[in-house]
Amino acid sequence: MATFVDRYAEEASVIKANLVVSFVALGIGAFFGLVQALHRTNYFRFIDSVDYYTVLTGHGVLLALVFTIFFLLGLFTWAVVQSLERPMPDIRLTWAWFGLTTTGATFVAIAILAGFMPSIDMSADVLYTFYAPLQAHPLFYVGLAMFIVGTWLAGADWFLAYRNWRGDNPDERIPLQTFMVLTTMLMWYLSTLGVAVSTVFFLIPWSFGIVETVNPLLTRTLFWFFGHPVVYFWLMPAYLMWYTVLPKLAGGRLFSDPLARVVFVLFLLLSTPVGIHHQYLDPGIAEGFKFIAMTNTMFLLLPSLLTAFTVVASVEHGARQRGGEGYLKWLGALPWRDPAFTGMALAGAMFAAGGFSGMINAGMNINYLIHNTLWVPGHFHLTVGTAVALTMMAGSYWLVPQLTGKRLYSRPIGLLQVVLWFVGMVLMSNAMHRAGLVGIPRRTAEPQYQSFDFTAVIGTVGELRAQIAIGGTLLFLSVVLFLFNILLSAFEEPIANPVDDRLPAPLSGASGSPLVLDDLRLWTGIAVVLVILAYTLPLAGIVGDAGFFGNVPGVPVWVSANAEAIVETLTEVIA
Amino acid sequence: MSLEPETENTIREDVPDRPRGYVVGSAPDSIEREIGHDDFDPVGTLVLIFGYFLILVVMWVFMYFVEFLGRGMTVIG
Repeated sequence: MATFVDRYAEEASVIKANLVVSFVALGIGAFFGLVQALHRTNYFRFIDSVDYYTVLTGHGVLLALVFTIFFLLGLFTWAVVQSLERPMPDIRLTWAWFGLTTTGATFVAIAILAGFMPSIDMSADVLYTFYAPLQAHPLFYVGLAMFIVGTWLAGADWFLAYRNWRGDNPDERIPLQTFMVLTTMLMWYLSTLGVAVSTVFFLIPWSFGIVETVNPLLTRTLFWFFGHPVVYFWLMPAYLMWYTVLPKLAGGRLFSDPLARVVFVLFLLLSTPVGIHHQYLDPGIAEGFKFIAMTNTMFLLLPSLLTAFTVVASVEHGARQRGGEGYLKWLGALPWRDPAFTGMALAGAMFAAGGFSGMINAGMNINYLIHNTLWVPGHFHLTVGTAVALTMMAGSYWLVPQLTGKRLYSRPIGLLQVVLWFVGMVLMSNAMHRAGLVGIPRRTAEPQYQSFDFTAVIGTVGELRAQIAIGGTLLFLSVVLFLFNILLSAFEEPIANPVDDRLPAPLSGASGSPLVLDDLRLWTGIAVVLVILAYTLPLAGIVGDAGFFGNVPGVPVWVSANAEAIVETLTEVIA
Repeated sequence: MSLEPETENTIREDVPDRPRGYVVGSAPDSIEREIGHDDFDPVGTLVLIFGYFLILVVMWVFMYFVEFLGRGMTVIG
């Protein structure tokens, strides 16, 4: 039995190229994470605290945007090709969007990394959120815009493949994996409008000096218009694997195809009109609009809880088929020797814990307790940092052999790697949450204040720091093991069956699900209406207050190059 | 596509081009019985999700005591 690469060699090449970019970003980003963990906790400092923000920006952008999204681009191409059972319509288009996204991402990376070299007059220490008036080099924004347009082309490529398939199969249901890809991309088109408008109309002209000022609240709100849905853009590839691959890895079948479709439709509807929940403490947005965003956010718990049920039930089905019995004893019948299964299962368990802290973040009043503290990175290292990242790494152990036709170099090392990630993250994330409750701030190289000591309710701040440093180190080791395992797999001899790639049909198939679920036009229409309802008045208010271009000049973050000029501009802005 | 019969799985072990040892994704090879939609009762899932909600409730109560009763008044506006 031939695997993916034998059937679709050209597609496999593009997917591999995407994964290479993804994994290179993972390696660099993880190293930056280690530097931060050791620097913040004062265990080992070899960079200047000023450079910490270059490292922090690199960590955020390379992991949250480049690693995750390039993996998504590869995975979604694989999913579309293998579920429609046909090659991409025109492989040149596929290579074209890969080229554009890669060039864009490279520009962004150059702009950030140049911050380490004072001799180069370029920097982008604006952190992952690039809040104005912090101003990056124009290359950062231009690269970002190219990257976004590249993802749009990728979506167009998948829609084109779907349209061709539909021409030959007018009466069939959309195959589940393609359905997941298409609904995710519709959400992405809607939500990236925010960041596209922000960069193209405001930040790029402003960074080139064509316009003098910016309205920081407007660009910030447009960022979060995209900034919350992007978390689902990271999560949907993980969901795709949890729904369609994990049941098989467990030895079972997906419990319900219709429930999976409902979940993806709910994410299309609800992902975007919630972004203001990141701005609970922003002045300039009325409390009522924040309340609406909170209500929408709480509705988002619904698809996640549906997922908890469907995915766990599918895994349980596998355990029962493998002879599992009892209320909890069946857990022992799961294939824990399989790194792909174990990694995804541990990632799912951590996502459940991330749900707890997410509920705290989402509540308007409770959010005030933890806003801008280390709690927040503690939360998203459970979600994007584990639910997504660990699922992607674990999924690679099953996916990459299909793309190369070569066996995984070492299964036991893979198993050690996923467990190491879980242990490292338990230590680091738990400590970050607790440190946040104490009030220790995020996004700072020097989380110490003079004449003030943070006191932990249980344990000590020293113990929290130790956990963060040890956890961060284990996580970095885990990434090193992952990358070496994948790299060494490339030197194996190709064989016919490097991995078991069969995907069984769901227990409850698509034929039982309502036809309306496949009506993508209807769901897109409703999603647009919800966004208009949630965003028109707040945006009108923000523009009404300070106009489209505001009155705030930029604060270029060429920190090391012209520190005096920065201080001067900062003083002006503050005054 | 439904699950392939187990007899074929036994043959697959002898395929020379299959790596030795545990193959990633080969959990279906050790299926002892096939359970269809109507025979499957996900009671274990119920137990796990009930446990999740129990933790949620306990933490909610805990939060009320620690974060609200344990601190002074927060004045907003």
